[in-house]
Amino acid sequence: MEITDKKRILIVDDSFYMRTMLKNMLLDAGYDVVGEAPDGKTALQMAKDKIPDLVTLDVILPDNTGLDVLKGIKQDNPDIKVVIVSAVGQEVIMNEAAEYGALHYIIKPFSEDKVLEALSNAFKEE
Amino acid sequence: MKSRDQEYKEIFIAEALEYYDALNRHISDLEKTPEDEQVLAEVFRLLHNLKANAKAIGYETIADVSHKLETAFGLIRNKELSFSDEVVTVLFDGIDLLGEMITGIDGPKEVEPSPALLKNLDIIINTQADSSSELSKVQKYYTSKNLSLSDLIYIQIKKLDHLMNLVGELIIDRDRIVSIGKELDHDDLKNVSAHLYRITEEIQYSVMDARLVNVGSLFNKFPRIVRDIAVTEKKEINLEIFGSDIQIDRNILQIITDSLLHLMRNAISHGIEKADVRKKNKKTPNGNVILSAQNDRDTVILKLIDDGKGIDQEEVRRAIVQRGFLTADAANDLRDTEVLSYLFEPGFSLAKEVTEVSGRGVGLDVVKNAIDSIGGRIRVDSKKGEGTTFTLFLPTSIAVKGALLCQVEENFYAIPLMHTDSVVALPTQELHEVGELLVADINGETITIVSMRELFNTDITEYRVKKSDLAGYAQNIIIVTYNNRKLGLIVDKLLRQQDIVIKALSKPVNTIEIYAGVTLLGSGKVCLVLDVAAITRYFLARR
Repeated sequence: MEITDKKRILIVDDSFYMRTMLKNMLLDAGYDVVGEAPDGKTALQMAKDKIPDLVTLDVILPDNTGLDVLKGIKQDNPDIKVVIVSAVGQEVIMNEAAEYGALHYIIKPFSEDKVLEALSNAFKEE
Repeated sequence: MKSRDQEYKEIFIAEALEYYDALNRHISDLEKTPEDEQVLAEVFRLLHNLKANAKAIGYETIADVSHKLETAFGLIRNKELSFSDEVVTVLFDGIDLLGEMITGIDGPKEVEPSPALLKNLDIIINTQADSSSELSKVQKYYTSKNLSLSDLIYIQIKKLDHLMNLVGELIIDRDRIVSIGKELDHDDLKNVSAHLYRITEEIQYSVMDARLVNVGSLFNKFPRIVRDIAVTEKKEINLEIFGSDIQIDRNILQIITDSLLHLMRNAISHGIEKADVRKKNKKTPNGNVILSAQNDRDTVILKLIDDGKGIDQEEVRRAIVQRGFLTADAANDLRDTEVLSYLFEPGFSLAKEVTEVSGRGVGLDVVKNAIDSIGGRIRVDSKKGEGTTFTLFLPTSIAVKGALLCQVEENFYAIPLMHTDSVVALPTQELHEVGELLVADINGETITIVSMRELFNTDITEYRVKKSDLAGYAQNIIIVTYNNRKLGLIVDKLLRQQDIVIKALSKPVNTIEIYAGVTLLGSGKVCLVLDVAAITRYFLARR
């Protein structure tokens, strides 16, 4: 009876608090959270190892900018969808992110509804 | 849902304090090297996270102050604001204020930011490197305050696992020292070892306590899960949750998470009938599911109760025969609880007849294995038409288990108390030979009796015993239970109950499936721990 078609999500955010909140929201919504990365290096490695269906990507990370991670993920595997997580006032980055194939984003502070909406929109692209 | 909010709050505070410490470090660095791009970027990131987290959880003032500081550092990065002494003072004040407010979250009253400081922050972020606005002197009400650290730390479960293992080793050595003290009859040694005993016991309970979490941290996920399954199944479900504050080892909770989810899915998908069927059977149109936890000494009892259609015993009996588990006669002899326990047999889950009729049995063996692996038990009770109850008996803690010690020949063996039912002394003549096994009638039940002496001396598949193999007029029998079924084990001598720390067996031995592990006794003697699950399964299959 296991749901086998659960979408596999990788969460990239340098804040444990944010990761925990996002993870709870996604798990409650029936997603499978396959990993949590606190920095760009771990994110790229996890994306390679776990091949998630989708990555939620915080754009401000300690080692890399989120955009470098986005490029890296898309280079390795263009099929992985990326939803950008960012704060108000960083809309500029979003335009750049869109160029690299991340069309959907979540603005912090986010509500559960917005998060789930962004993810389901990203999956609708298929 | 309250405990999740509490969890968020605790995480927020712990992380915010980390950021606060890092900010203090970095800003001191910046005083020396104000141009350091990397440090500036890091400060910016920390403030940015703090702002976002504070906003998310609803601490507006913290978010606001973080935002102002973030803006200031943004300006410094873009060389629009110089890192002058005056500016540095304001930034320091701002960061101190953040610290005050973060620690104040759990304090008696909320920390109000000084208006003068907020104004200063506004001035430095609004005047573009212009000094025409006057920065006012901020009264530093906090500098005289003692330094304080958070009362709460976060720790990886891995570290607690390691600590628990060390405690296990310590207990073994302690028991050894206590027993040497007695052997030598040395007063000082006895006094010291008595003290050592008390202290290690306290350490053991403290470590066990540190690993406990509320069952609620799992239960709280269920309202949402139930809602989702109910929507998919087009059923109305009323979920009630009790005992969320009962505490249990975090790893145990982790291990049973999937099992509980599985049982819940089964209950809603297959147990609860559609509304029209329920109405016809004079039930409420919406199904009722109860998830509860309670304590019983060292055991946590979780129950999942549904008022669905229940399981048809007769159908299960037929399936037991069809699947070749038992002959028709044997199946008819089974008690009701025994019948249902077959639902947990591997392979039974493949019985299409059963899943269609009863809606149960899908992967229940997987659930059972998970619970076995932590030394727990599961039982199912069901009445056709009225509903089904799954009861999980779980140890509160993993590492230390209560066990019954016994002796066979020169060797000591331990049987986890979770599996012991009772102990009886039975005249040898009341044992009967059936095939190559012995059975006895105990309290109206026919129970297979296994001679441990024979079992230990032969390979389990070669095991056969006659009444004449048994010595003595009466036999000491420990009745064990596994999956609602009983087995009697003949031992030479019953010793005592004791808390033991089970270690996994190293390679060559662990192919022998009758042992679950090994422990050391205070006397220094090795004591093998019996795998009641494996032994019971084997002999019931043979019967």
